[in-house]
Amino acid sequence: MPDLMRRVRDTLQMRLGGPTTTDVVGAPGSIQLRNVTAGYGGAPVLSSFDLHINPGEFVYVVGPSGAGKTTLLRVLFGVVRPDTGWVLVDGIAVHRLQGWQTDTIRRRVGCVFQTYELLPHLTSLENVLLPLQLAHARTRNARACAIEALELVGLKDKLHEFPGTLSGGQQQRVAVARAIAHQPRVLLADEPTGNVDSQSSAEIMELFGQLNEMGSTVVMATHDEFVLSSYTAREVRLQPTLLKVAS
Amino acid sequence: MSHLANVVWAGRYAFNVFAYCVRCWRGRLGAWLATAAAIGGVLSLAAGAELFLVLSERSLSEQVRAASEFQVFLADTAGADQVSALKGEIAALPGVRHVTYRSKAEALALARHNSTLATIADNSDVNPFPASLVVDLSDPSAAEQVTTLVTHDPATDRDVPSSYTPAEGRHLSAFLSMAQGVVVGIALAALAVASLVAFVLLRSEIRARRAELRILTLVGTPRPVIRLPVLLEAVALAVTGTVVASLTLTFVGDHVVPAVNTYVPFLQLGSATGAVAAIRAATLGSSVVALGACSLFVRLPR
Repeated sequence: MPDLMRRVRDTLQMRLGGPTTTDVVGAPGSIQLRNVTAGYGGAPVLSSFDLHINPGEFVYVVGPSGAGKTTLLRVLFGVVRPDTGWVLVDGIAVHRLQGWQTDTIRRRVGCVFQTYELLPHLTSLENVLLPLQLAHARTRNARACAIEALELVGLKDKLHEFPGTLSGGQQQRVAVARAIAHQPRVLLADEPTGNVDSQSSAEIMELFGQLNEMGSTVVMATHDEFVLSSYTAREVRLQPTLLKVAS
Repeated sequence: MSHLANVVWAGRYAFNVFAYCVRCWRGRLGAWLATAAAIGGVLSLAAGAELFLVLSERSLSEQVRAASEFQVFLADTAGADQVSALKGEIAALPGVRHVTYRSKAEALALARHNSTLATIADNSDVNPFPASLVVDLSDPSAAEQVTTLVTHDPATDRDVPSSYTPAEGRHLSAFLSMAQGVVVGIALAALAVASLVAFVLLRSEIRARRAELRILTLVGTPRPVIRLPVLLEAVALAVTGTVVASLTLTFVGDHVVPAVNTYVPFLQLGSATGAVAAIRAATLGSSVVALGACSLFVRLPR
């Protein structure tokens, strides 16, 4: 019986966060893309794209609509699989992941979306707690971690509020809390200030700045000039159909 | 200590998954109840139709068997030893359940209760009805073997050895097989239609949860953990639908079938008790399997 339990535990651990065959050696917190071509339905949005981001770096991905900002983040997050090239994110070879393996990278990095992507029938605390309970099942004191993350984003008094009763800025801060609750080394953010007012936008940028200073690698897609001026960082500028990198 | 920690961890994880399932339902109880009621309605219709089909087929089979009572007519000169030997030979044939002796006096008494034969029975000075061996067949087509055996036996009537011919027996058998085939076919069609409707309802239910499934995928929830609530929901819908169908079936069996027996006596559907239990079990099994399988085919986003 203990053997059976150990085997079940090991199998679950492999599925829920243990090492997998897709792991490769790489600097923790770094991001590398080499000769990446990716797009939708055979039409490439990114073509022969190279990028290297050091651990702890803050990088803006900027460019007009259709330039491939969201596609780049989707490639990093395993939503879009590149047609060619390779992608390493925090030591994970993302380009190798099959559809059923993408939870590996999503447990490793945190991601904030423009549309928040909160579950409307769960409270703020439950939204932050859910990934800790289901995806990061080995997290000790998951509830304490979730509350700490919500405190960090300034929502200690909104723990039991549903997303529908929160403002856009508050919802985005819940999404940030969810992304950082498991203390990822890499944070991806796709237009995190796109749906919030300037006051909330400033607060969210201050929050990302703090997280970066605490050691997180941050990649943020934006076309908001206010955001670019609020925190100094390297800019990766994309052009439609053809990608160019500018430091 | 490590073993205890594993047990605690496994229990806690199972609790978290179950708590998530409950939270999923908490916000969508109204929609879920509506879907369960619709599935219950569809299963009730299918189960009710199946009950009437099964009872009708059973009644029809009994009536055909009663009408096709197979008799071997005995010669008036046949001795008791000869009749006994012939009875033993017939009973040993495959397809024969049992054989009973009917004397001339018993045949006359039965004829007096038969509207067609009563006149002959009352107007004859001597008893015109022969003694016979009444053969209970499991299948009317088995009459051919019995006829072959008795045709040249000295104990049987030389001119009319049996009540019907092997060809008539085969026709009866074919008719019964066809009736059973029709019942099975209609029952399967009802089940297929019920499964299809239930699948469409389940799919629309899952489509309504598409955003939720996408978010769960985005936050790194393992796919089996995402599928589990969907599977549980499908099974819960099937069980709830079956409960509704069972209640309907019980009502039909207790009230509608006896009413049909009273007002349409020639149908003679009989008691529905055994059939209701069997159909209830079949509905539960088939709906759980069908909806559970459907839920596993739901595509999750990359």
